Formats: sequence, C-alpha cells, structure tokens
Amino acid sequence: MSGEPGYAKPRPTVTHEDRDFWAAARQHRFVLPECRACGHVWFPPYACCPSCLSFDRGWTEASGRGTVWGFTIMRQPYIGSFEPELPYNVVLVELEEGPMVYSNLIGIDNADIACGLPVEAVFEDATDEITLIKFRPV
Amino acid sequence: MSDREFAGQTAIVGIGGSDFARLYRTPDPDRTGEALATEAISEAIADAGLEKSQIDGLIAGGLAHYEPVAYRTGLTDVRFVADYPQAGRMCATALMHAATAVHHGLADYVVLFNSVVFRTQGTKFGAQPQGLLYDTIYGMASPGAQYSMGFTRYQAEYGGTEEQLGAIPVAIRSHARMTPGAIMTGEMTIDDYLAARYIAQPLRLFDYCLVNDGAVAYVVTTAERARDLARPPVLIAGTAGRANFREWYVDLGFWYEACQSMKADLFDPLGATADDIDCLQVYDNFSVSVLWGLEGFGFAPKGQGLEWVQDGRIALGGELPVNTSGGMLSESYLQGWNQHAEAVRQLRGQAGQRQIPDCDWSLYWCLSALPGASLLCRDGVL
Repeated sequence: MSGEPGYAKPRPTVTHEDRDFWAAARQHRFVLPECRACGHVWFPPYACCPSCLSFDRGWTEASGRGTVWGFTIMRQPYIGSFEPELPYNVVLVELEEGPMVYSNLIGIDNADIACGLPVEAVFEDATDEITLIKFRPV
Repeated sequence: MSDREFAGQTAIVGIGGSDFARLYRTPDPDRTGEALATEAISEAIADAGLEKSQIDGLIAGGLAHYEPVAYRTGLTDVRFVADYPQAGRMCATALMHAATAVHHGLADYVVLFNSVVFRTQGTKFGAQPQGLLYDTIYGMASPGAQYSMGFTRYQAEYGGTEEQLGAIPVAIRSHARMTPGAIMTGEMTIDDYLAARYIAQPLRLFDYCLVNDGAVAYVVTTAERARDLARPPVLIAGTAGRANFREWYVDLGFWYEACQSMKADLFDPLGATADDIDCLQVYDNFSVSVLWGLEGFGFAPKGQGLEWVQDGRIALGGELPVNTSGGMLSESYLQGWNQHAEAVRQLRGQAGQRQIPDCDWSLYWCLSALPGASLLCRDGVL
C-alpha cells in the first residue's frame, strides 16, 4: 500500500514521547514501550512507566495479534475527511500483550465484525512519514 | 464523604434553573452563560428564603471564567470559592465540596452553579483534541461512539437487543412530557425510537442526550441552618467518587467496580440497600449509562439490565422511576445538575403530576472517566 500524496485525514501529532513508535511503524514494525526497570509493557507510549514511574524506557516488538474488544459503525460525518467512507468501522483491539488500541478493521464487511474476533496488525502507509497500524481478521 | 457522622449534616436548601425549552426554541444572545448563571443563582437564593448577603461561598461550573458571575451577583467578598471545568463529571464533585465546606465551617451558605451555552456556541461533541491513543486518526469521534463500542461488547457478553435498550429513552421521554420547561416533550414510542437514524451504530439518535443552553444553581448549608429556612431541607446523605481514567473511555467492565465502590461508600455507613431508594435521578448522557449504572449499583442483576428495564419498571408509576423530569435525554443537558434539582423537588413533594408518593430517597450517579454519585433524602428519614 502506498501513501496518497494528499492524505486528508487527521494524522498523529508526533512528540518526543511517541517519535520512536511512529518511526518503527514506518518500518512496518509494531513496538510497545517496555520498562527496563520493572518489565511493565504499556500503551500509548508515555515517556514514563505508569507502573513504577521509571523513565528508563525500552521497546519490545508486539506480536501484532489481538482480539476485537468492541466496535462501532460510524454513521455520521463527525470528521469531514472520513465522510466518503461512511459507514466505516472503528474497533478497540485488546492486544495479546495487554494494551488496548483503537484502529480500523480491514478485509471484512462491517456486518461481520464481532467482539472476540482474532485479528492481526497490518501496516498502511499513509504519508511519507506516517504508517498506520490497522487490523485484519486472522 | 460518606461516613455516618457526615450523613445528613448538610442540605440543599434552594434551587434555581432556566426555562430550557424556551431557550432551545428561541435562542437569546443576550442570555450569555454569565446571565444564565445569574438568573439561576438569583432564583436559588430566593427559593431558599435567604438574603444574598448571607451567601459566603461560591462554586462555579461550566464557564471559562467565574469572576464575571461574581460581579453580576455581587458575590464579590465570599469566603470560599472553587471553580470546575466544563464537564458533567464534576457535578457530584461540586456538591461534595460544597457540603464539605459548610460542614467544616469554611462557609455558611454556598451557592453552586453550572451554566452552559452549548447550543449558542455550536458546541460539537465530535472529534476531540487528539490524545495519545490516536483514536481520531482512525475516524473515532464523539463520546457517543465510545459508549456505542461499549454496547457492542455488552451485547456480546450478555445478549439483549437494541429494542430493549429503547425502553430507557422511551420511559424518560414520558417523564419530560409532564415537566414544565422540558425541551423534548413529543410522544415517543419504541417504534419512533427504532425509526430514528443511527449515529454511531448500534446507538441511535434518541440514545443521545440533548445539546442546549441553560443553568442550574443550588444553595447548600448545614442541616441545622436548613431547618430554619423556607423549604423542607433536602439532606445530603452522602457523596462518593471513584476515578476510572481509561484512555479508551468506556470501562471494560461497564463501570461495575466503580459503581460497587461508590455504592459501598454511600450505602454501607447508613445500612441502606437498593430497596430503600425511591427514585433515580442519574446522568443519562447516553441510554447505556443508565443500563450500566442499574447493574453496577445492584438494582438490576448483572447482565440482565435490559430485561429489567422493560414493562414500565423505570417509568413513573413503576417500581423505580428514573429521571422523572426527563433527564438529559429529554429535559435538558445540564450535566447532572437538572437531575439534582428534580431530586430536590421530589424530596420536597413539589414535583406536581410527577410526584412519587412518599419519596424519601433519591440516588444520582454519573458514569464517566470520573464517576461520581450522591444520595439525597428527606429530613427525618436518616
């Protein structure tokens, strides 16, 4: 998948806290912050471990596997750039490693989405800098 | 605070509010957030039978700046001031702090208000400023979409239909039809509910609260002082809170643990049970918030709330009336404040054709990132 030149949708505001996360995604790697002091894995990638408050943050490769916790089918144009895709799905995925992530499910009809569905991460290049992590049924 | 010593030591003694329906139909640019707050405060002080000079505490909610309200009401030399961000979750917190302040003598009479001009400002509860959980980049927008996601999960775990969920907005609408000043007073059947458009499927238009302008104010003082005032005191039996900060907003257990914690804080010191409660005046930002709270506080068996709300059980005349003035789904989105005003009316016996016979206890909850709850009662029942 290649990035559209005029990608109109919202993009992440990359900060010091998540720069490494997005850089990894650009290389089609899904990484999660991991505390070098206590081993806790968390998401989103805050700079400090929410479990032990250590700032000694490393990264671990996520399996990319998870299950759909819940989903919704967006039916109204809250975000103009998403309007052409209505109705589209948004899912909350529970990763195998524990953290929850929002995403879209691709490769499935909205009517077939179900809670508990096993899914795996796929990488969708949105712009030259940003690659989104989406999911598809396993 | 919810210990036995504190229970019933403080009271709501005055209430005031806006004519929500008129404001909704005929927006008035002169009635700014400050003007609406001033009207509500004036009414609440008069309702209590107090002189304005007796008010020595001010708690503000909903406005970007509280000081303009102090100028307009002449509450310029009060001893106790607090200000809360615009957020429904702060409703029980504001009451908690008002009660604590008068109980400990930080002030004798605190006036507290929430004033919002969502409709005039064109407020959209859509795409939020982007958080680190990156929801917006995937098209996730609006609190309703979050609750909708929770409802798909709830249905997967416990079953239940969208039609069953519709019993909640339908019952609450029937109450608004009896409420002077309520915004949505047209008859609504379950067929009307099901015929309405999806917003974030599976939630439909009538699962969502209104977006409107208005203000509500109360006066809080000690129970001792309350007994010398114009109205029957409505005692604050307890307030409770338990943060539930989740980046994905909807609690994975539908707020069950937070509700159980708040229930224990409120009920245990009094030896109260769910059976004691005569009505619920709760935060119905979305229909599902009512469902999950009913289970969390133990009114409905866990996972059976949708069956439980059928057949008029939560309507006036039923076993446990919910949001007897129409709540935020149909009366007014004053973020929990109009629910407390209705609780006061019910406990004073001033609710007109909506009056619940022998109404002694009313419970409030708000399920959000910062859940809060309050328990109010008539004087003499504690």
